[in-house]
Amino acid sequence: MRDTPAPGMAAEPLVRVSALSKRYATQAGEDIHALEDVSIDLVDGEFVAVLGPSGCGKTTLLKILAGIELHDHGEVLFKGKPFNGAQTGTGVVFQTPVLLPWLTVLQNVVLPIRVLGLSLPQGTARARELLELVGLKGFENKYPVELSGGMQQRAAIVRGLIHDPRILLMDEPFGALDALTRERMNVELQRIWLVNKKTVFFITHSVSEAAFLADRVIVMSPRPGTIVDEVKVPFARPRDIDLTSSADFGRLTTHLRHKLGSHESAHD
Amino acid sequence: MWLQIALSLAVGVAAWQSAVSFSDIPSYVLPAPKSVLAALLDGISQSPLVRSSFWFHLFDTLKATVSGFAIGASIGLVLAAFMAEFRVVENAALPYVVGLQSLPKVAIAPLLVIWLGYGSESKVAMAAVLTLFPVLINGLQGFRSSARDRLEMMAALKASRWQTFRHIKLPGALPMIFAGLHIGIVYAMLGTIVSEFTGAQRGMGVIMMQLQTVSDTAGVFAALVLLGFTGYVLISTMRLLQRRLVFWAENGDQTRGI
Ligand SMILES: Nc1ncnc2c1ncn2[C@@H]1O[C@H](COP(=O)(O)OP(=O)(O)OP(=O)(O)O)[C@@H](O)[C@H]1O
Ligand SMILES: [Mg+2]
Repeated sequence: MRDTPAPGMAAEPLVRVSALSKRYATQAGEDIHALEDVSIDLVDGEFVAVLGPSGCGKTTLLKILAGIELHDHGEVLFKGKPFNGAQTGTGVVFQTPVLLPWLTVLQNVVLPIRVLGLSLPQGTARARELLELVGLKGFENKYPVELSGGMQQRAAIVRGLIHDPRILLMDEPFGALDALTRERMNVELQRIWLVNKKTVFFITHSVSEAAFLADRVIVMSPRPGTIVDEVKVPFARPRDIDLTSSADFGRLTTHLRHKLGSHESAHD
Repeated sequence: MWLQIALSLAVGVAAWQSAVSFSDIPSYVLPAPKSVLAALLDGISQSPLVRSSFWFHLFDTLKATVSGFAIGASIGLVLAAFMAEFRVVENAALPYVVGLQSLPKVAIAPLLVIWLGYGSESKVAMAAVLTLFPVLINGLQGFRSSARDRLEMMAALKASRWQTFRHIKLPGALPMIFAGLHIGIVYAMLGTIVSEFTGAQRGMGVIMMQLQTVSDTAGVFAALVLLGFTGYVLISTMRLLQRRLVFWAENGDQTRGI
């Protein structure tokens, strides 16, 4: 199923990851094989979810894509050219919120605007819109300590989207949210994505979240982290949350769970 | 809380008074509280223009302390920032920092008097030298200890070194920097007084040496009370500044008790 373009999209991938491997040397001198022979194509405008047990190298892969971490072997190509870390068209939502405690929520979410030298008035207007969208209206001038963990993570999502990046890398962005908010955020994320058609690389532990959101789900296994399966998700968009109780959806999630194997008790 | 503090002070003074009344400690060793108070009132009621006024000397001590602190803290912070950012600077500065660090720095006071004379320059220099090291060491640690995930967040935005410094490292280092500044302001005053002992024309250290030579112990005590109060005001000002700038730190007041 590799290289299957999303409907109506060009086949040329926006990002091509081929035969990537990565080892970490720990303080104790051991050698951790985090990724082995990982190949993924991200087609422009595609929503790809990555599913895998804890410690299988998902965050490592995301950091390599974000240009934060270096890989040992393999290639990362952006529009056919070697990835050189100089592109600014990426937005990252990390596994933890990483908000700066000395800035207000609004100041935190417009930080990318300031760093990238974009228009601050425009960015601020957009920040207010996005904050309202994720249910943080009225919290613009609060400091991160005054927010719950889930609210902080929602602010971090706004920060990832604020500069309208072409590629959005999200590392378990909804992990800290309660089930209900998480469902709502899934629907909202789909809505945002349908409007903007960004290329999304979305890491999650949740099988149903992956199946609900993605065009394609990649399943990884640990030690060393490799891809064990890729499944195209056929459901039409926009997807309704009721889809998750349909028989087809159930079959897909059962298959994904099976592929995830005994590495982890899939918890939802 | 204020009541407790007042009570504690009252008990202390009463104990002091009874030690003087019920024993035969001579007054040139331990003067009575009331003669210290009298000496203090005498010292602060005189015109600031006469040499026997405490103000005449305190202003000079304060001026040297604050200027020395400002100079030492600025140099310390800039040096710390460059050492944290550039390996070359760190390697070049390290032998001097380590070497001077183990030297009891007040011992260079006589040298400073030889170089800079009996005016305020040698005092300012001594205060600056003493301020520089705690600010440098704490600042360096502060700039270095930026959380990895914050740096990665900036790296993902392809932020420049300056942007990362300005948005992440500098604000993140403020709690440590203030810890250094608190030590620095205390050391600045210490340096100034030591320098005044060594040789100066004006300053609280000078008047204390004069009072000592005439065995005016009550006068020396009075000068100490005034110095203690001045130090308290300086530290409080610093803490106020810290509360405004580092309101966000979980352990905002890292220097409580110093
Ligand atoms: N900086 C590092 N130094 C050493 N080892 C690391 C480092 N970062 C990650 N690892 C190791 O690499 C492996 C993969 O880590 P990674 O964070 O990519 O996992 P993950 O799939 O994101 O897990 P989780 O779902 O728990 O977030 C782990 O075994 C981890 O211990
Ligand atoms: Mg992870």
